Amino acid sequence: MNKYEVVYIIDPAVEDEARKTLIARFNELITGNGGSVDKVEEWGRKRLAYAIDYKTEGYYVLVNFQAEADLPKELERNLQISDSVIRYQVIKQIERKVGIKPRVVRPAPVAPAAPAAPAVEETPAAEAPVETPAAE
Amino acid sequence: MSEDRGEKRPRPRGKRPRRKVCDFCVSKIEYIDYKDVNRLRRSINERGKILPRRMTGNCAKHQRQLSEAIKRARAIALLPYTVD
Repeated sequence: MNKYEVVYIIDPAVEDEARKTLIARFNELITGNGGSVDKVEEWGRKRLAYAIDYKTEGYYVLVNFQAEADLPKELERNLQISDSVIRYQVIKQIERKVGIKPRVVRPAPVAPAAPAAPAVEETPAAEAPVETPAAE
Repeated sequence: MSEDRGEKRPRPRGKRPRRKVCDFCVSKIEYIDYKDVNRLRRSINERGKILPRRMTGNCAKHQRQLSEAIKRARAIALLPYTVD
């Protein structure tokens, strides 16, 4: 399963009812083919940055979904067939790099010095009582 | 052209230009979203062209991501290809 994101622009001339069924149809296409729809976001009527087929406005719909790798092709084919969809774009969402070990921060030079200092002190102290009985 | 590379060209009058810092690195952005039109608009000029790195000071990584994002935004008519 991969994560995808599709944005499509529906002809603003399409009535509300017809538009709803159209959106539902695309969502069913995803769910019907083993995918799952995570989020449907309707941006509504927006001005296009440039005219597409002499249209200056469009109804934007954003859908986030998860599906197998062959589904986007089928979805694109369906979007292409539909006359009410004037533009579409399917994008595979990049996986965030997780599981990478964070860089090991070396302990400050104070830390190794601290255990070393008592060790030096301890060794003569431990030896001293052993040696003294032997000398006597 | 290649001979004077690496040579320090004397800058006539004025201070040396300030080193620009990548905006996206500063604001710790991992992924430049093509839907974030307001942010992308800052990186195109009034003709709709993508600003070069030498003007924005972006790092290579973010400039690549940025150009990709702008091109995606153009494809779905969020940004213009040209403005005249």
